[in-house]
Amino acid sequence: MKRAGLAGVFLIAILVPFFLNQYWLHVAIISLFYVMMASSWNLIAGYTGQVSFAHAAFAGVGAYTSGMLALYGGVHPALGIIAGTLLAGVLGLGLGGLCIRMGGIYLSLTTLGFSEILRIIITNEEQWTRGTMGLQIPGVFSVYSKTHYYFLFLAVTLAFLVLMRRLLNSDTGLAFRAVLNDELAASTSGIDTVRVRLMAFTSSSAMAGLAGGLYGHYLMLITPDIPSLGQMFLVLAMAVIGGMGSFAGPIIGAIALEFLSEYIRIYGEYHLLLFGLVALVIARFAPSGMVGLWEKIWRRR
Amino acid sequence: MKPVLEGRDVSRSFGGLMALHRVSFQLFEGEIVGLIGPNGSGKTTLFNAITGVFPPQEGEILLDGKPISRLKPFQICRMGIGRTFQIVRPFLKMTCLENVLVGIVGKDEKGTSREERVEQALLELEFVGLGGQSHRLAGSLTLLQKKMLELARALATRPRVLLLDEVLAGLNPSEILQALHMIEAIRVKRKVTIFWVEHVMGAIMTACQRIIVLDQGRKIAEGPPDEVRSNPRVIEAYLGGADA
Amino acid sequence: MSEFLMFLTNGLVMGGINAISALGVSLVVGIMRVINFAHGEMYIFGGYLSYQLAVGAGIPPVLSMLCSVAAVFLGGLAIEKWLIRPTYGDEMYSLIITFILSIILQNAALLIFGPYPVKPPSLVFGATNIFGLFHYGNQRLLSLALAAGIIGAIMYLVRRTWFGKSVRAISQDREMAAMLGVDHLKVNMISFGLGCALAASAGAIIAPIFPVTPSGSGAVSLTAFVVVVLGGMGSLKGCIAGGVILGVLENLGAAYISTDYRHIFGFIILIGVLVLRPWGLFGKRI
Repeated sequence: MKRAGLAGVFLIAILVPFFLNQYWLHVAIISLFYVMMASSWNLIAGYTGQVSFAHAAFAGVGAYTSGMLALYGGVHPALGIIAGTLLAGVLGLGLGGLCIRMGGIYLSLTTLGFSEILRIIITNEEQWTRGTMGLQIPGVFSVYSKTHYYFLFLAVTLAFLVLMRRLLNSDTGLAFRAVLNDELAASTSGIDTVRVRLMAFTSSSAMAGLAGGLYGHYLMLITPDIPSLGQMFLVLAMAVIGGMGSFAGPIIGAIALEFLSEYIRIYGEYHLLLFGLVALVIARFAPSGMVGLWEKIWRRR
Repeated sequence: MKPVLEGRDVSRSFGGLMALHRVSFQLFEGEIVGLIGPNGSGKTTLFNAITGVFPPQEGEILLDGKPISRLKPFQICRMGIGRTFQIVRPFLKMTCLENVLVGIVGKDEKGTSREERVEQALLELEFVGLGGQSHRLAGSLTLLQKKMLELARALATRPRVLLLDEVLAGLNPSEILQALHMIEAIRVKRKVTIFWVEHVMGAIMTACQRIIVLDQGRKIAEGPPDEVRSNPRVIEAYLGGADA
Repeated sequence: MSEFLMFLTNGLVMGGINAISALGVSLVVGIMRVINFAHGEMYIFGGYLSYQLAVGAGIPPVLSMLCSVAAVFLGGLAIEKWLIRPTYGDEMYSLIITFILSIILQNAALLIFGPYPVKPPSLVFGATNIFGLFHYGNQRLLSLALAAGIIGAIMYLVRRTWFGKSVRAISQDREMAAMLGVDHLKVNMISFGLGCALAASAGAIIAPIFPVTPSGSGAVSLTAFVVVVLGGMGSLKGCIAGGVILGVLENLGAAYISTDYRHIFGFIILIGVLVLRPWGLFGKRI
């Protein structure tokens, strides 16, 4: 039953480019980017209970590293994206190593600071980044085709989700959940809680770097909006509305919110406000999100 | 004979309040030692000091002669000290099997396959009488079952010394009997040395060979149950305290 | 030389403002273990409301300042009651909720007040000659005095009153405080309201000198957080020392190194503290 469902979703995902026009195909590609972002953020927030506000910033690290390597060094985007992923991971390891042992509040504060600082640096170093104007960078393919990009994003997203699923089902995933359930009991059962949290944060940050690198080479124009707090909020809202701590939640939340935001595009300036209010209501009254609500209804029947 | 677990002049204060003052103790292989004292006398604080949750500020704690008081809780667990909590703390949103698996993963023994670990976890559950419950969520268990699950998780880390913090609290008489059998089985079949804090006086007096008494962070008596029971300082500590 | 002294005095004025803003964060962290990520928005609302009341409604500037702080205080009480209280015991949800709140308030402020900086009228005019070295604006001197006055009032509140006793009891031993009959719900609510009011007063005091804009709230929050980490989580003394240190360093840095990178000095300090002394200047080592 479950397998059949997954196969169905997979089939639909493959057929998508043959049904959607260029505009909606673009929206589909962007939603895949958000699926990667929200799922990997869920890895730390939903599975180990730590709130990072630097997820968009790490996507920015990925996008700018790969973009600038391609533009100034002629490095192939494939290599550049790997470099961006690694750099995001290393920065995550460094930041996390400094503050995770001090507790969750410190991680949130430090990542918020990192996010602001990265935005300031990118905005100010205009000779390299062209500031808020944005930097034009080469794409992945020599011939531009949205269908190609769609399949590239789909393949990476699927690989990404399979990898995450494996991680969560491994001993490491077990340790993640033990730390989330009860930190003290986990540590007196032999779990190195600081290392577990650091591992979750580092891998999640690297994943954001990967998603950001791909995203940049798709848009071919990277701006300080990628590592902005507004972007961070969108990712957080997708995970919260979809359902944190469940595997499907952030995936559903990302796709739903990205498509929804295309419909409410006309209300431009109310966009973030509206999502904010929805996310606030969900976080306050249904902390396990749409997936949690669905399960509740299902059980009642 | 050398002690398995030894504390030398262990002290710990919280914000100027002396919670433990130069407490020394020794536990020998296969022993079961009781730790009693009025509320707030420092029993749980001593367990927290031993397990590294709030390490001692002065003094030394040794396991098999090796100092452990500078180690982190997870390292102390891997060295061979397991514990349960006064208020039970199983991982509520995980299944019984997963709860015990955490202990096995925590022990971090290389070279065992996933199947072997699951098999070992099932054996531990069987041992504490939760054989058929492996896929139930810990949150849905009864209090006695939660306590048993906590024991299974601690046993999964293959401890040499097990610290039990009020395992009998909140249980009815027939459950107390089951728990006592379990503790005896752990000591005899698993060859684990037990250090046991309890409020239910009768039970601990009959089960333990030796009792240590704390009052206001200091050790005021130690010896066989009968001797401790008639010790005037112990009587005063209990009668003078609010919860006598 | 006199130029350097002027930058130093500027730093001191900003330091006073930083200190009261950070006191608001520290009070709430110390008691509730909650970080309010919407702190910067409270500061901005303080400045904007005081502008609206003074310029829009024609209320005298001093009164409009007081009214704006009072309004934010009431808002803080409501936020605590409806949004923070249900998250007690779950640190992660309180972080997520206040972050969402900050996005909502920031966007609401953009819609209501518009993106342009506003500047409420000054309370005093002219300048004073400081020891014959340089001329310094009276409004700035008044701001420093007001900040010092608020710090004094908070110190008195925490050291000498019923509220302060409850606060100290709770931050030392939660269970003991509950047993002694301290109403922690009431104390939490008032502390959160006070935390917001302190942010608003910082915003209302500084706005006549440095105009406020909705997009500036992130930097305000961050400054307050850096000060709290530098001074030590939950330490009130730390807020004052940390606030002044950061104020002076940022102003000297902006003057002699780079204006664009003004806010980077705070982050460098944050990293430095985490490396060298993670519990902060006056914090308790765990």
